Amino acid sequence: MNKLDAHLPTDLATHSPNKPVDKLVVENLHLQYGDNPILKGVSMTLNPGEVVALLGASGSGKTTLLRSVAGLEQPSRGRITIGDAVLYDSEAVIDMPVEKRNLGLVFPSYALWPHRSVFDNVAYALRLRGIPGSEIEERVNQALTNLGLGALAERLPHQLSGGQQQRVAIARALVYNPPVVLMDEPLSNLDAKLREEARAWLRELIVRLGLSALVVTHDQTEAMAMSDKILLLNFGKIEQQGTPEDMYNRPQTQFTAEFMGSNNHLPGKVREVADGRALLEGEGWKLWGAARGALKVGDAATGIIRLERTRISDGAGDNRVRTEIVTGMFLGDRKEQLFKLGALRLRCYGNAPSGGSESFIELPPDDLWIFANDAA
Amino acid sequence: MTARGFSLPRSAVVAITALVILTPLSLIFWQSFLNAPFFNPAKHLSFDAYRFIFEDSDFWSAFLNSIVIAAGMVLIALPLGAALAFLLTRTDLPAQRLIEVLVLVPVFVSPMVLAFGYVVAMGPVGFYSLWAKDLVGDVPWNVYSLASIAVIAGLTHVPHVYLYSSAALKSLGSDVEEAARVVGANPLKVALNVSLPMTAPALFYAAVLVFFLGFELFGLPLVLGDPEGHLVLSTYLYKLTNKLGTPSYHLMAAVAVCIIAVTFPLVLLQRWLLKTAGKYVSVKGKATRQKLLPLGAWKWIALAIVALWLMFTIVVPISGIALRAFVEQWGEGIKLADVLTLANFRQVFDQSDQVRAIVNTFLIGTLGGALAVACYMAIGLAGHRQRGGVAKVLDYLVLLPRAVPGLLAGLAFLWIFLFVPGLKELRNTIFSVWLAYTVVWLAYGLRLISGALLQIGPELEESARTVGATNGQVLRHVTIPLIRFGLLASWLLVFMIFEREYSTGVYLLGQGTEVIGSMLVSLWSAGAIDQVAALSLINIALVALGLAVALRFGVRLHE
Repeated sequence: MNKLDAHLPTDLATHSPNKPVDKLVVENLHLQYGDNPILKGVSMTLNPGEVVALLGASGSGKTTLLRSVAGLEQPSRGRITIGDAVLYDSEAVIDMPVEKRNLGLVFPSYALWPHRSVFDNVAYALRLRGIPGSEIEERVNQALTNLGLGALAERLPHQLSGGQQQRVAIARALVYNPPVVLMDEPLSNLDAKLREEARAWLRELIVRLGLSALVVTHDQTEAMAMSDKILLLNFGKIEQQGTPEDMYNRPQTQFTAEFMGSNNHLPGKVREVADGRALLEGEGWKLWGAARGALKVGDAATGIIRLERTRISDGAGDNRVRTEIVTGMFLGDRKEQLFKLGALRLRCYGNAPSGGSESFIELPPDDLWIFANDAA
Repeated sequence: MTARGFSLPRSAVVAITALVILTPLSLIFWQSFLNAPFFNPAKHLSFDAYRFIFEDSDFWSAFLNSIVIAAGMVLIALPLGAALAFLLTRTDLPAQRLIEVLVLVPVFVSPMVLAFGYVVAMGPVGFYSLWAKDLVGDVPWNVYSLASIAVIAGLTHVPHVYLYSSAALKSLGSDVEEAARVVGANPLKVALNVSLPMTAPALFYAAVLVFFLGFELFGLPLVLGDPEGHLVLSTYLYKLTNKLGTPSYHLMAAVAVCIIAVTFPLVLLQRWLLKTAGKYVSVKGKATRQKLLPLGAWKWIALAIVALWLMFTIVVPISGIALRAFVEQWGEGIKLADVLTLANFRQVFDQSDQVRAIVNTFLIGTLGGALAVACYMAIGLAGHRQRGGVAKVLDYLVLLPRAVPGLLAGLAFLWIFLFVPGLKELRNTIFSVWLAYTVVWLAYGLRLISGALLQIGPELEESARTVGATNGQVLRHVTIPLIRFGLLASWLLVFMIFEREYSTGVYLLGQGTEVIGSMLVSLWSAGAIDQVAALSLINIALVALGLAVALRFGVRLHE
């Protein structure tokens, strides 16, 4: 393992925080607990100065992937590199110890050491690197000031609020200028209200300091808000990756489409296919939509459309369905109406249509994605 | 942290632990299959020893007595301990805090001392017996019968059941009980249909534990079983020394193997039960304040029963010892005021071996206790967050000493110190006793340490690794500082356990290795009642000192 040390920047202290130069590359990573595969060949790239979100439901392997990069989990196959430094390579039998990887990690629980003050929590990494006391003081104070914690240096972790603890955890992960900062559900421990503010604050911080960050989250809004690129994981495999706009507006699979937003679902059968469009028929309705993937006439398929693209209209027309209103909900910044179409329920933003319980809903063909159902 | 192979210090700790545990055990095992002591040149492999004890009717009656006493203890201790736990955790019984502390006294007072207390308090001419005789004209009990031994042992083991069932009751979320109330169960139904079944694994564990402790019992049957000749396996083993006149090590080893053959499966069963018991633990994080069941007028009756039990298990034996320590002699027709004296203590302090015993006992508890905790910590840390095969081996390895009663472990260490070259010089130092104590209480000490280690979230250590600390630095800067208080608490508990221990030192007793516990066994055999009383009282004072410090610092006295 000692050979590896040569690959690491020799003076970590002078590694500039504002210009990360190394690219994190994960290639074909496999990991299992016993016989239970958690990661089934994941590959990804994190470019310098980029924020990548690992998104997925619980059990998708997103946290495991992050912890494998940190060196806290033991993959069975694959390769992880940052620039020239090989962190893990199953073929070359390289597995760099956690402490040599020089990465920053923010834990969901923050994991502040309860027996050390805020200052000592942040300073610990610098002391381990043998940096002289005066410089430690300067850098810790700088980090604390950066994060708006200047006055709290002497407090113990339990004397801080949740939001303050989160900032200390981030300061602790940033103070030694790691080439990549790993964040595991960094906002999950905050109250819902605080979370939105912290999201904006964290995005600003990442951009201001020019950090390369890998962020795990289960919340698609959080992922879109904070990152330049999203990796959606599904049972140990990457379902789709791309910019937040790509992921939201151009999902390649039904899973991605459903995960990224709030949707209406219309199960039916394909009746016609033409020019990238397909005609989907269900009980008492027929709609044209954009065909996603290969579709054949007769296939069972599902139409998916974002709630905000579903429109309440004033009369019959192309790609409209006749529905009956069930109820309405007031959400504060908007209203949501619930309609009945046979056994189906359609949701829609907007005011309740005037004139009786019967109303028409328009589902524009470009926004109605039709995915073939899995053979299973 | 993931297992990345065992580092050098880790391997060293595991190797030393294995050596210290396996050497005495294999020696016992080997010796049991020889026809003579292992140092005898004429020895050869044979089943003679087993043949001898299996043909000895005393062995079989001792075996039967052991089972009867152990079973009797379970029958007495289990319902009482469970009821006491329910009263103290779920009802508004008065004086709860005081009772909670007093309940633990029988756990920390040496059984040898307790047994002696019953003799001087309730024996044929004991203080309470004679007072009873004055009142009703006869002594209405006989503490020397087999049934009495079982009752006394059962009552003094109520705390063990109490500790496990109260822990289970406390960890039982009040939500499951409230849910039962909401769907229409009355408090009694809740207790019978929800609380009891959910604590059943803990109760079953406690039953196995008490049976196991009963099978190992030594001090109580040694003192109380002697007058009527009731032997149990451990006292049978002890008496074998004198039976043939010559050192009958092979016979003792054969009995030892028979005892371990029963106790080791019980230890494995306990371990398995402890793992499965966790499945009902339903509270995570903050515990809601339990609503206490009002007992109404019944609380005074319940309190009276608890007080009666405390009276019998604590007040009677300890007051008996306290009185006996300050009288010249005691018997029928003697007035207390006439015989009061300090001579017993003067006698003790005149004898250099007894003074050494007191000093040694104190040292083995304080310095020895600290050293033992350091060893337990090293072993605990060696297995900390390890999942590999070696960690598993360590896991089972430390269970072995649990199955070996202290008397046997002391015997095995005596053999090692006598016949392993290089160790002979240490034979007559307190080190030999300390080593035996440390190994005998290894499983207990490790439970204390791992209890402290379990409190540390793995992410506290992982975060230190990610900021650049090596495994060793994580231990020094995060793990050990975080278990500081746990280590201090363990030291106090180990202090009390080492003060109380008596059987392990019995065979190691010699010039320089005296401790109060083994001294009591030896003095009792020699009939020196006055000094036994004085030393017992000093022993109680030492334990009380530890208990007081522990309470002062708010140490939890059990896991």
